[in-house]
Amino acid sequence: MDDLEQAILLASDSPAAAAASPAVRAEALAYCARARDETPPSSLLHLCLYGLASSPHAHVHFWCLQTIHDALLLRRRLALPDDLALLRSSLLSLAVSSNAASPPFLRNKLAQLLALLVRFEYPHVYPSYFLDLIPPSPPLPGPTDMFARVLVSLDDDLLSQDYPRNAEEASDAGRVKDAMRAQCVPQIARHWHEAAVSLRAADPAVAAVALDAARRCISWIDVSLVANDVFVPLLFDIALSPGSVAPLAAAAVGCLSAVAAKRMDARAKVALLRSLMSAQKGFGSPDSGLKMAHLVTAYAVEALECYRKLGSSDADGAAALEMLEEVLPAVFAAAESGDDDEVDSGSVLEFLSGYVSTMKAPTEKQLGHLGQILEVVRMQMSYDPVYRGHLDVLDKIGKEEEDLMAEQRKDLIALFRSICRVAPGATQLFIRGLLVTALSSAEVSVEDVEVALTLFYRLGEIVGEEEIRTGAGLIRELVPMLLSARFSCHTHRLVALVYLDTISRYIKFMQENDQYVPHLLTVFLDERGIHHQNAHVSCHAGYLLMRAIRLLKAKLVPYLDTILQSLQDALVQFTATDWANKDIKFSSSEDGSQIFEAVGLLIGIEEVSPDKQVQCLTALLNPLCQQIESLVMDAKAQGLEESSPRAIGLQQIIVALTMISKGFNERLVMGSRPTLGVMFKKTLDVVLQVLISFPNVKPLRSKIISFLHRMVEILGISVLPCIPIALRQLLVDNEAKDMSEFLYLINQIICKFKSSANALLEDVFPAIASHLSVILSHDAFSNGFASNTEEMRELQELEKRFYAFLLHIATHDLSTVLLTPSCRHYLENIMQLLLITSCSHKEISHRKTCVQTFVNLIKDWCSSSEIEDKLPGFRVFMIEKFATGCCLQSVLDKSFNFRDGISIALFGEIMMAQKVMYERFGENFVVNFVTKLREAHCPPDLAEQYYQKLQGNDIKAFKSFYESLVMKIRQQQNGSLVFR
Amino acid sequence: MSRAQALPDPAAVGYPSFKLILVGDGGTGKTTFVKRHITGEFEKRYEPTIGVEVRPLDFHTSRGKVRFCCWDTAGQEKFGGLRDGYYIHGHCAIIMFDVTSRLTYKNVPTWHKDICRVCDNIPIVLCGNKVDMKNRQVKAKMVTFHRKKNLQYYEISAKSNYNFEKPFLYLARKLTGDMNLRFVEELALLPADVTIDLIAQQKIETEIAAAAAMPLPDEDEDGLMD
Repeated sequence: MDDLEQAILLASDSPAAAAASPAVRAEALAYCARARDETPPSSLLHLCLYGLASSPHAHVHFWCLQTIHDALLLRRRLALPDDLALLRSSLLSLAVSSNAASPPFLRNKLAQLLALLVRFEYPHVYPSYFLDLIPPSPPLPGPTDMFARVLVSLDDDLLSQDYPRNAEEASDAGRVKDAMRAQCVPQIARHWHEAAVSLRAADPAVAAVALDAARRCISWIDVSLVANDVFVPLLFDIALSPGSVAPLAAAAVGCLSAVAAKRMDARAKVALLRSLMSAQKGFGSPDSGLKMAHLVTAYAVEALECYRKLGSSDADGAAALEMLEEVLPAVFAAAESGDDDEVDSGSVLEFLSGYVSTMKAPTEKQLGHLGQILEVVRMQMSYDPVYRGHLDVLDKIGKEEEDLMAEQRKDLIALFRSICRVAPGATQLFIRGLLVTALSSAEVSVEDVEVALTLFYRLGEIVGEEEIRTGAGLIRELVPMLLSARFSCHTHRLVALVYLDTISRYIKFMQENDQYVPHLLTVFLDERGIHHQNAHVSCHAGYLLMRAIRLLKAKLVPYLDTILQSLQDALVQFTATDWANKDIKFSSSEDGSQIFEAVGLLIGIEEVSPDKQVQCLTALLNPLCQQIESLVMDAKAQGLEESSPRAIGLQQIIVALTMISKGFNERLVMGSRPTLGVMFKKTLDVVLQVLISFPNVKPLRSKIISFLHRMVEILGISVLPCIPIALRQLLVDNEAKDMSEFLYLINQIICKFKSSANALLEDVFPAIASHLSVILSHDAFSNGFASNTEEMRELQELEKRFYAFLLHIATHDLSTVLLTPSCRHYLENIMQLLLITSCSHKEISHRKTCVQTFVNLIKDWCSSSEIEDKLPGFRVFMIEKFATGCCLQSVLDKSFNFRDGISIALFGEIMMAQKVMYERFGENFVVNFVTKLREAHCPPDLAEQYYQKLQGNDIKAFKSFYESLVMKIRQQQNGSLVFR
Repeated sequence: MSRAQALPDPAAVGYPSFKLILVGDGGTGKTTFVKRHITGEFEKRYEPTIGVEVRPLDFHTSRGKVRFCCWDTAGQEKFGGLRDGYYIHGHCAIIMFDVTSRLTYKNVPTWHKDICRVCDNIPIVLCGNKVDMKNRQVKAKMVTFHRKKNLQYYEISAKSNYNFEKPFLYLARKLTGDMNLRFVEELALLPADVTIDLIAQQKIETEIAAAAAMPLPDEDEDGLMD
């Protein structure tokens, strides 16, 4: 034993182990393992019992108990009856003489071992376990503690459903519970009561363990053993007495909660809840909510459940609702305490939502409750002032807090929404109260203002557009109040942002009430908006102003000059070349450029007089164009680095121009106000100079492409002469991503100008084709890129745009371009690519695009007479390669999934292709295709049917016939394509 | 015990040192997790821990340096060791499960119970590991155990360092009683092996928050009113 004792100490975290080398400790561990695994069961038992009796070390005791436990659990069939009797008597005597001062982990281990014996032997081998263990009256701390731990272990290891249990354990559990109910449960309950009475002051920790054991048993014992007029008052007294230490009070609350949650019929439950209520005066008071949060929540949940089951027309149901409402003040107090350890805010919220959902037309009293629930919502939605500074500058901590709050608010907002639906008037009144308070005090906190505005904002989501427009209810009063509001904490980012968002949420009200438009503009333009000290707020204000202008349009014409004047400094700042030095990172969507869009929109309003438009646009465009010209001149002299302030300045200006142009459309600038068109055309020339001088500064080029998109949109056909030079410049140093952007522009041009783009396309096509043949070479995809790399994504995007490009050519009367001498060179490769893709590309949507392209090409190039074909050989290619490969083989392949939406769409195109081929190629197509069908083991009668359906007009019937034909052939081939 | 290292003596360092018990089923990534800290190196091969390995991990906090002596225990019973004997005198614990394996989550209550039996009322963090994996089996809203037992829950990815510091920060806060305690130096971690899809993960975090408001599943109880 001495060696073993030494080994255990060395292998554990004892002081001896701290000094030992790893090798020694490994050896010690191996020694322990050998003792455990290789000693015969009977000797091992004796060895452990000896260790328990003789060693002074807790680690050794623990090891001995654990080893017996394992041996019993794993090898119990080997244990001899005599050994078991010895073990039982030794452990029982250890337990009853147990000293409450021994380490809890040892008492728990002993309890665990005893619980295991109970599981194996009670009641059939040894019926007196509990009778032996129940401490005699009056209960002493040591035995009471030990007995409670045995019950707790029994619950943990056998009875509780919180752990996975196998069938054997479940049947053992049933046996043990039945025997206990028959033999000793009343006696045990009496013991708990006695222990609670006599030890609550003398040894509160032990009393708490005893009550914890009771709590665990309540779900399966006769509840009246605890829910009676002796025990319940005692539990309340312990729970509420100022003298009770926290764990003891919590244990008492746990017992009461278990009583409340006990499963039973709803009527019996109402009686039980009533008895709990009457046992404690002031049960529903806020004070009991603070002290018994867990209980009052459980109680309220149960009462609500009874009310739901029984209904308000039932007397018990109505009583349940009454009890529920009586306990509400306590629930509110618990919810507002913000004590996360005691209150499960998720279940409180769940309960409150459930309660609100039972209401239809709330009574006066219920309206009062709803007001309190709104207050709970408000409190839980409020930020902690600790993070105020972090949230203002939005550092890492602030960001984290903001995300966390956004999550936390989701369910609260759902609750707010349902209150708003049940009691809209009360909700508006509540919000008015918050706003009035926030406005009346100079000391109001950031958090209070933020949450008040957030709730007002959310209200705007819930009430209908019509109500906002007409200012229904209090909205008529609240919106003007908000418009003129200036909070003492308006400089804080959070307050300023939610303030602006809320104003924007109610903007439809201003649309109907012109008199508030000047107030609205003031909000956006002064230091609450664009001139806010925080750049993020300022940018957001710019974005919201832009949206306001889109909505209010003509109503703003009288204020045009005011707005432009107020924005002057912000406009200048955006394109200032020291911009790069500003230490601000913006999200891509709100970078401050929206003020240019806002200004563009404003000037572009048709109600503005043509002269005024010209005057304003000149004032806006001229300085920007001059800035570009001077920057280009400097850059030509000194070079242009990609990330230099000069390059960034140019980008900003081009972005600004793009945004301005968003306020205009082709009808206006080319139709009714051509002077404006001339101005944009001049601007385009200036911007093209940048591209010509610096074609390979990529971020800049990207902005220029965006600008070109806008010019194509608003200048229409007149832009065409400028395009070839631009396109040629864009092809300089052109990689996958650039090519993709380029194709996007080309596709826009094709779609917009159709056959008018013929010459342009002819000019640029060879360059595109040769570039693409390099970038999109087959190797690029199999070059070992993982499929989620940026490069791969770029290539995939490019591929998609390229197929779209070919389809656009084929659908917009431009296919003759492909036949011109300069393009012809690439035709063979393109046809092969289209064929392979349409047959086997893993991206089904690409296949579809290619089939559509072929269909259009057939229509364009082939008539019913072969002699008139525009491309010799194309007809044969389609009949022999495309029809067989795509229309037959690709669909016969098992991978073609007839249940997948995109594949079904592709199948539709394939059917269309067959119809078109039949229409243009006639018998030539049919003969070849039917032959291929036969080769694929299609029965002759079905091949004949195919021909009939092909001739018919019912494309739907043709489609479903062909699908069934494919399925039949697949079955016959048993999955393998013989002719491949 | 490949690392030639004696058991860290708590008295040997001049700053607070806490015994941290790291438990969970075999293969959930306990060893990988503790090795992310500079003191360890990340091994791609899976090597079951024999018995226990103790690693001292130091953190610089706003209240000075603290050490967690991580007792990285074997998750697989067949490898023996002292098992719950190692928990004795534990100050705090991390229970790890693998979000790609439901069984490892199902066993969490048992690990929790075993810890509570030996260590009275210590702060415990539940960690769902491997959230970088595509074949996730334990969805965020299925994780409710921590709410019943008042534990803290974090989704982590040992391979990508995602949320590595969170469990330690929570435990340090609980143990010092200062809920505003922060780590003041950037942790020295091994570079991430995989990058986590932050957008997808954000969606999951949303689910966790949404799940937090759901009612706990009913505990099946066989003994109705007797």
